[in-house]
Amino acid sequence: MKKIKLFQMNTTFVWLVACNFLLLTSGCVKVEYSKIKEPAYLRVFNNLNYVQTLGSKDNKVPFFCMLINPVVDASGMPVSAEIVGDFLDQRDAYAPPYPSHIGNSTSVNNPEYPGKENVLVGPILNGFDLSSWAQVPSGKVRIMFAYRPKNTVPFFQLENHLKKDILIDTTINLTNQEVYTLHLLQKDFVSKKTGVLLRQEIFHKLPLSDSLAYVNFYNMSAKGYWQADKSLKEDNFLLASFQWGMKDDMNVYLSLYEDQNLMSKNGATVPGYKGKYFASVKLNTESPAVSPYSSFPIWASKSANGITTNIWQRFDFFVPGMDITTNPFYDGSTDNGGNWVSVNCLRNGQLRMESNDNAAILPNLLVNIHSGLNNPATFATVNTIEVVNGKVYLTTVQRKYAPPIY
Amino acid sequence: MIFIEKRKYWSKTLMILAIGMQILLLASCKHDDLTIAAPNENIRPAGDFVKNNYEMRLFYAALKKVGYADELNGAGPFTVLAPTDEAFNRMGVYNPSDFDKMNQDSLKKVIGYHLMPRKLRVSDIPNNGIDVRYTTLSDADLYVSRASSNPNGGAENELYFSGSEVMRQDVVLANGTLQVLDNVMKPNFNKTVQAWLAGHPDYSVFVSGLKKFNLWDQLAGTAEFTIFAPTNEALKNLGITAASLNEMDTSKYEGDLLFGVYLLYNKHFFVSDTQVFSRINSNGSFNYYLKDSSYYMTFGGGKLYPTFKLGFGLTLRPGGPTGSPIQSATGSIVAKNDNLCSNGLVHHLADGMVTPEQAIKK
Repeated sequence: MKKIKLFQMNTTFVWLVACNFLLLTSGCVKVEYSKIKEPAYLRVFNNLNYVQTLGSKDNKVPFFCMLINPVVDASGMPVSAEIVGDFLDQRDAYAPPYPSHIGNSTSVNNPEYPGKENVLVGPILNGFDLSSWAQVPSGKVRIMFAYRPKNTVPFFQLENHLKKDILIDTTINLTNQEVYTLHLLQKDFVSKKTGVLLRQEIFHKLPLSDSLAYVNFYNMSAKGYWQADKSLKEDNFLLASFQWGMKDDMNVYLSLYEDQNLMSKNGATVPGYKGKYFASVKLNTESPAVSPYSSFPIWASKSANGITTNIWQRFDFFVPGMDITTNPFYDGSTDNGGNWVSVNCLRNGQLRMESNDNAAILPNLLVNIHSGLNNPATFATVNTIEVVNGKVYLTTVQRKYAPPIY
Repeated sequence: MIFIEKRKYWSKTLMILAIGMQILLLASCKHDDLTIAAPNENIRPAGDFVKNNYEMRLFYAALKKVGYADELNGAGPFTVLAPTDEAFNRMGVYNPSDFDKMNQDSLKKVIGYHLMPRKLRVSDIPNNGIDVRYTTLSDADLYVSRASSNPNGGAENELYFSGSEVMRQDVVLANGTLQVLDNVMKPNFNKTVQAWLAGHPDYSVFVSGLKKFNLWDQLAGTAEFTIFAPTNEALKNLGITAASLNEMDTSKYEGDLLFGVYLLYNKHFFVSDTQVFSRINSNGSFNYYLKDSSYYMTFGGGKLYPTFKLGFGLTLRPGGPTGSPIQSATGSIVAKNDNLCSNGLVHHLADGMVTPEQAIKK
């Protein structure tokens, strides 16, 4: 018996030694967390869009590396930068509230900054989750957009002669803890002049209700786009009526449809929401002012139960003097001289309508997602719809919501 | 007693396990001495591979002639773009001795253009990359186009080097890779399209026509051109010969139509581009108005029936895209297309487009 006890003590000793070893070997790592003092929150979109065609094969592809506070050598070539947003591709039609959608890809091409970049992101401000905004140093910062070849080689590993083609080199002024979106834009379609537009967002400061969905509209098209000859614009049928541009001054009319499983613009609409005047939008590539938000109740439909609703939205943009009742064009007419363009917002935006339709398609403004025990639960959002030349973009911002319980 | 023995046994096992775990834990911290299987040393270097390949006898003869054969057995890395014997035959080269008749310096430059001082596999080229440029052992860059995916669905992996299709991709060599080309590439280095045309008597009537209608001088500049050069025979079929040109009164004809129809301004199109773009976005054609004219031209192409070799077509319409075509022409002799010059490309056209009667000023 005694022998056994001794042996047991021995085992304890061995375990102790083992634990010590483990502590010793694993305790060597020093973790240093990166931190930005007094950050501003920045989201960057490259609105210079393009389509690869035979005729445009020699055009420079607007594919960039964004450099914030770059260090340049004597020849003007950037050698390093405080913040690098590489592989900045043209933006996607949908900028989702969470970067998870964007992260689900194997390509290095980034449809926005921060997007796929693994950087410090914004906090939850007044309930709004800013994880699609990157932290950047506030104050006066120098920002540079350098053309780069469309490959997978990181910018600073490129050959030197490829690093000198700078499209934009400017300074912007960022205030501590403010939220900004920065747009890289074509400002004139004829002279091809480009520039940036820095907008200080205010949605997190407004007393917004969580049972209303908010949208504001911008037309950031290049001057002279809708007037230009069709042969100069990209021919992409998926852009539908937007591809030839819309006029500089437009009114927006909202229709709410009852059921997004019925992919037709001839389906039932929510009473009171068929072609309702909603907002107006003017061409603007200079002023950073935030357009006013318009709203609609998310529980507008009678079939909504306060947890989920299946409504979807259609926005018709008409030139002043024309509306849904006086519309002279036929349903599927896409080439309307910029007088009428429209967009349907339903499901994930990756589908084709069953009705004869001239609308571009974007995802539903309302986020339907599994949250708590409800699958799906519908959430009110704050949205921005931006028209740039022949394309229409949707940015959705959502409040922090409860995780799903399975 | 048996019970105690059993316990003792388990304790011992536990102790051994604990010590074993400890060793494993410590051992897992570093992996300096990983052994991996030795690479296969029986893969041949580039020079020997080409030498032993009976499909590339003429290419090897050329390599040997200009002195690259031994260099290709060196450390590398190399990418060899090897045209087949058939490709050389199409250019009129049938025997190794045919290389003796050529200017050795030019031959060396052209063959050097088929060799790259790097290892280039298909996967190294960006997806849907168009005219991606790579350096060669000569002094001019290669244009590489890779049609890898169609946004409307479907994956392709067609690869073209300066207009020549790759028939077999990524042949592994000890010191690089080899791509089998369907055609010999035709770089002309510092020669302009004007100099190229002047040096080819097949197109002498076309050249005289360009000179007569003041279209000739611009071809020596830096602006880019794609030229669809009609042969003397083609123009003769339209009623244009050297003699008739001499008698022509330039004030009565529209030169921009009669001869300008063969010039595409500010573009450099390989014939293969039509195929590449028909893969990338289902549209391999380019439409344009002739210079200062209402005549509307469609340039299109791809792998043409029935040979499924690269070729192009031109269709001319008066008044715009809806006009009914007045003339179409096809250029399907692969070996004569894609003459790459310093300021554009020259393609071979066996049919003419516009007769003098059609170009009379109204």
